[in-house]
Amino acid sequence: MTPNNRPLQGIPASPGIVLGRAKVLSEHVETQPCNCLLYSPEEIEEQLGRFLKAVEQAETDLIALKDSLSPEYQEHGHLLDVQILMLKERMIFQETQRLIREKRYNAEWALFQAWQKVRELFQGIGDPYIKGRIQDAEEVYRRLQSNLAGKEVWNLSADEPVIIVARDLSPAEATQMTSSQVLGFITERGGRTSHTAIIAQSLEIPAVVGVDFATREIATGDPLIMDGLTGQIILDPDEALSRSYQARKKDFEAFKGEVAQASNLPAITTDEYPTQILANIELPEEVDLGLKYGADGVGLLRTEFIYLRQRHLPTEEELFLDYRRVVEAMAPRMVTIRTLDIGGDKFLSHLEYAPEMNPALGLRAIRFCLKEQKIFRTQLKAILRSSVYGRVRVMFPLISSVRELQEARRLLEEVKQELQREGTPFDARMPAGAMIEVPAAVTLAHLLSRQADFFSIGTNDLIQYALAIDRGNKQVADMYQPLHPAVMRMIREVVNAARVARIPVAMCGEMAGDPLYIPVLLGLGVAELSMNAMAIPMAKHIIRLITIEEARKIARNALRLVTVEEVNDYVAQEMNRRFPEIFRFVHALAANLEP
Amino acid sequence: MSQRKPKTPVVEKELWVENRFGLHARPAAQVAQMAQKFDVEIILEKDGSWANARDLLSLLALDCPQGTRLVLRATGPQAHEAAAALFSLFASKFGEK
Repeated sequence: MTPNNRPLQGIPASPGIVLGRAKVLSEHVETQPCNCLLYSPEEIEEQLGRFLKAVEQAETDLIALKDSLSPEYQEHGHLLDVQILMLKERMIFQETQRLIREKRYNAEWALFQAWQKVRELFQGIGDPYIKGRIQDAEEVYRRLQSNLAGKEVWNLSADEPVIIVARDLSPAEATQMTSSQVLGFITERGGRTSHTAIIAQSLEIPAVVGVDFATREIATGDPLIMDGLTGQIILDPDEALSRSYQARKKDFEAFKGEVAQASNLPAITTDEYPTQILANIELPEEVDLGLKYGADGVGLLRTEFIYLRQRHLPTEEELFLDYRRVVEAMAPRMVTIRTLDIGGDKFLSHLEYAPEMNPALGLRAIRFCLKEQKIFRTQLKAILRSSVYGRVRVMFPLISSVRELQEARRLLEEVKQELQREGTPFDARMPAGAMIEVPAAVTLAHLLSRQADFFSIGTNDLIQYALAIDRGNKQVADMYQPLHPAVMRMIREVVNAARVARIPVAMCGEMAGDPLYIPVLLGLGVAELSMNAMAIPMAKHIIRLITIEEARKIARNALRLVTVEEVNDYVAQEMNRRFPEIFRFVHALAANLEP
Repeated sequence: MSQRKPKTPVVEKELWVENRFGLHARPAAQVAQMAQKFDVEIILEKDGSWANARDLLSLLALDCPQGTRLVLRATGPQAHEAAAALFSLFASKFGEK
């Protein structure tokens, strides 16, 4: 086959560039094994022997796997323990043997039949978390079938390092990659903040997720290039392209080393203007990642996850323990907790809250919390209680009027009094801020600043509302422009209002973590930027190379331009000129891929 | 969810699933391991369905989220010891929250 440089696109989940051959992990769940009846007692004995050998092999492999895990993945070690136990489970182990003996099935077919019964049993389970445990049983089943077929299950200690391609990887599977010859991985499912992506980042294995049909497009043995910086995959690359990626890989690794070295240093410009580079956190695991990448604190702790993952509303205690874990790990750094930012239809009964036609403009975030005060108070109480374990501030999302902020603060005061009466300790001076993400809040920034201890600009929503663009709509997605003159002017207005009131302004949202925008934002006066943990080293790197005067000049010039195209061109040009070594990685190879 | 009918109970005890994520794989594995240590037949019953405490998968299939009430029935020479051991395992929330 002639190389054809065929590109596939996914979501970059863990940075790095790798070249190698693919190993596709296909799922054999649907394929039925062959079914043949046994006639002689010898045949039955032989099949029993094969099955027992497959179990024994699986046990040896799982134990070896468990021993090879590094101590920080204890949690996943427990998952392997469960699998080891399942090997000898009655419904699989004894039932398969019974079927071989009594029904005279061959080992594969007997195992398949036993497995079908387990699947049926799990179908009736209501609790989604417990139901999800069928994954563990399924891994065991697949392992046994592969052993029977004499296939290598996961020959991860293969001589040649490989790029793993799979529909999805469980955290346990992703963890196995530590001890093995895995260059990187590609999955069809998952997003940037899936557990698997986070594990890949902490293991520093490049990964691209969300690649549609990856397991069908790619075959085991295919030569690949995978770029975890851009999410691009190139199938069957020709020699010229491989060479240029080799060079890019080398450059990137040298660069990464340089950037990583400085990631624990403070983010100060060369003329000593101090900034704070913070982490956005959604899953508890990300705290460690944030610390590893040198976060100065947490600029956005999303709190929705716990409300969505279980059937009942979380109790104050559960919330408290969750927050405390993050606050303690980060102490003495600041943790900014955002109160609940979803609508009731996401987690309450559909009778009370029917799904809305237009949820972005509906009853959600602070609006929902002010309506469902009991839920809100429980969360505020948990946040306050966590505040004594480090430094905490709270922020209210989707504020669109002074009244809403007043109401939220009033409830916060009431909850404080309640805690005081109970004698429960909390930080009485915990700052409470407003998120600025609705154009109305920008217009009212001067008024809001008198009621807020800080502002945090949520750019994802602000851009969407200001430009009336739904990013999910492919027809208009390219009109979603962070450097739109309207957006830049809004940011300037918020900063001015905050300056008058002498309160800090932070920014969370994707814009804050994009290297391209960092000097502009700094120049506009936003000195606290919160982003995905993996973006932190790069952000710090840029800040440590620039002066605040330079940043202000870039912002001033950008503000003078009248169309977004002009602004984009100007900023890209300026950044390419100023930081050629960074932007080479983002743009350099794009030209090679044009047909 | 076993095929056999339970024998006459010797010990009967009420258990509550108190940990946050319910009787998922790890707690269920702990229960099964514990039950296998004793010379005893243990049935866990929930609203008319039941599971053999030694069977990890049927314990999972019993579908016990946080707040589930279970009735334990232990039969055999070590029924008392086994029931007490399982009771404290449930009470410890399996070492979780």
